[in-house]
Amino acid sequence: MNMSRARVLALALTVYLSRLTASIAADAVSHDADYDYDPPVVGSYALPVIKVAPDGAIIDSDSKSLNLCQLTHGRITVLSFIYTRCAAPKACPYAVSVLSQLHALSADDKALATNMRLVSLSFDPDYDTPQRLAESSEAMRDEKSGCEWHFATAKSNAALESILNGYGQAVDKRSNPNDPQGPLYHILRLFLIDRQGRIRNIYSSATLDPRLVLADVKTLLLEETKLSKH
Amino acid sequence: MNMNVSLTPALFVAKISNTVSVCVLALTLSFGVSNAPADETCSSPYLARIEGQEEFVYVWTLGVEGLGDGSDKLVTVDVKPGSPNYGKVINATSVGGRNEAHHGGFTDDRRQLWLAGLENSRVFIFDVHTDPARPQHAKTIDNFAEATGGAIGPHGAYALPGRVLIPCLSNAKDHGGQTALVEYSNDGNYITTHWLPTKDDARGAADARFADGYGYDARVLPRKNALLTSSFTGWKNYTMDFGKLTADPEAMKHFGSTMVMWDFHARQPKKIFEVPGAPLEIRWAWGDKHNYAFTAAALTSKLWLVYLDDRGEWQAKDIARIGDVKSGVLPVDISLSADDKTLFVDCFGDGKCRVFDVSDPHKPKQIYEKQIGRQVNMVSQSWDGKRLYFTSSLLERWDKKGEDNEQFLRAYTWDGKELKPSFALDFTALKLGRPHHMLFGATKLGANRVVASVQ
Repeated sequence: MNMSRARVLALALTVYLSRLTASIAADAVSHDADYDYDPPVVGSYALPVIKVAPDGAIIDSDSKSLNLCQLTHGRITVLSFIYTRCAAPKACPYAVSVLSQLHALSADDKALATNMRLVSLSFDPDYDTPQRLAESSEAMRDEKSGCEWHFATAKSNAALESILNGYGQAVDKRSNPNDPQGPLYHILRLFLIDRQGRIRNIYSSATLDPRLVLADVKTLLLEETKLSKH
Repeated sequence: MNMNVSLTPALFVAKISNTVSVCVLALTLSFGVSNAPADETCSSPYLARIEGQEEFVYVWTLGVEGLGDGSDKLVTVDVKPGSPNYGKVINATSVGGRNEAHHGGFTDDRRQLWLAGLENSRVFIFDVHTDPARPQHAKTIDNFAEATGGAIGPHGAYALPGRVLIPCLSNAKDHGGQTALVEYSNDGNYITTHWLPTKDDARGAADARFADGYGYDARVLPRKNALLTSSFTGWKNYTMDFGKLTADPEAMKHFGSTMVMWDFHARQPKKIFEVPGAPLEIRWAWGDKHNYAFTAAALTSKLWLVYLDDRGEWQAKDIARIGDVKSGVLPVDISLSADDKTLFVDCFGDGKCRVFDVSDPHKPKQIYEKQIGRQVNMVSQSWDGKRLYFTSSLLERWDKKGEDNEQFLRAYTWDGKELKPSFALDFTALKLGRPHHMLFGATKLGANRVVASVQ
């Protein structure tokens, strides 16, 4: 088994175990040590606009060239910056597992299936080729009927730099390329983006509670409903 | 759900359920990162932490008219073990003018250091990533009051994911103590303002009868979704001469006497606690089952504990007397060790650091005290609890006068029993100014501090 396949399996296992232990239904996720509280009621709070989601040239897992803005408009998007070689405990594998839970939820929720989009955007384009991203995509998307889930990466290093700067995603090479946590040091960043392409929340490991992300997505959906009535 | 696991590429076959047999990679539990953790114990849990030992102490320093260039400045002190410059100032960058330099904080990626001025509400953003030894002034926010809808007196910056939370001290309308929490994105753009609850507008918080709308510190316990704020006083008071202030009974009525527990994610106040005497710095415990925070009320010289009771309700109670207020024992800064066992309490008036054993947070016991100087304000402690750094300045108009106006950075080691001096810098002799808030810098960063496991 080559390392690429091994890492895909590792990610798949992480997702599987997260489901096994956490329960797929986010509403039913009980308190745990990391997120020991009741999430706020959907629609009871505001998600102020942080800024317009930056754009950039990307390539998806089907080797199709497109602009990132095509994946940040028209639906409520959860955009996660990752790289598949990451083995840091609460970084990319965890982010993928959370998106997987959201994806699984959307399979049973028409509103989520038709209004939510997940994007896993790699900042390791040299390694995360479209072929590798396709393998990850296949391994992660357990439910085939849920919302859109795109795996993509920057089309070039220049595009990558522009996108990372735009989103404030810090990525540095580790001094030890064989570091067991992966060759890149980064902070975990996920973005909640509304249908108009505006960033409405930013998550890191400590705030990436799938119940909160789900509450935020539904809060934006409710906001749209309220606005449409006026 | 505990996702605190790492994966190692060793194959084995495991039957995970009755119906699924899969070829999987071995999981090894990992409760920390490979490198020794470091950092200040009071830093934001969302902050990327430094690996190994701190290499620099950044000191946000008030300018003094006629001393050096007279401007506020960010001073960098080399504290890297073995460095030929150990204990020396290696850089000082002026921001031009005096702004009542006070507190600061890093963005969560630790690439920027935001430094706030209390008097004119300017916020100075420094790049500490390109060259951590020589931070560069990159941007100034100079329309704070207008942008925030009237909040003034930005009191530092607290790292949140992709943004900073700026607790304020005052408002532009009457320059009193009612104020707000403000959020800016890491790229310096204003996001939103949350006004502290008042009796007239408690925004659903319990015990609204205590509400005063005052602010000071704001800190989060992520796993409880708990944001806790404290309260001080407004612009009119903190810009007044200290002797004049204390002789003015009416002015002395205008100090905060509350703490507020918020739903952090929703940014909604949930409960207001009556904590008389200006509760200042908040220190959440780090232990993963330690649901409590300490604060010290300056004007009553008492330690307070905010804690989750047996019924799951947040409560606040005073837990210890620190000293005699009439003798000037005003606790101004506190530092909790990473193992939650030791609390260092700086008292401005008598210049002493008092050390409490807080192994039982409900029953602190003073175990030691040390004369740091004729006046002392801030204390910063390394994650391993072995090094503590002290500075002297409180506020430009509240510092002592004459010979008592010592201005210093003094570094000590702590062996669990005693503070021993390691180096000292005289900021007056060096023509730098009044040193206030300290923050640690380094050239190496590690994993996000996302799990509260104490190493």
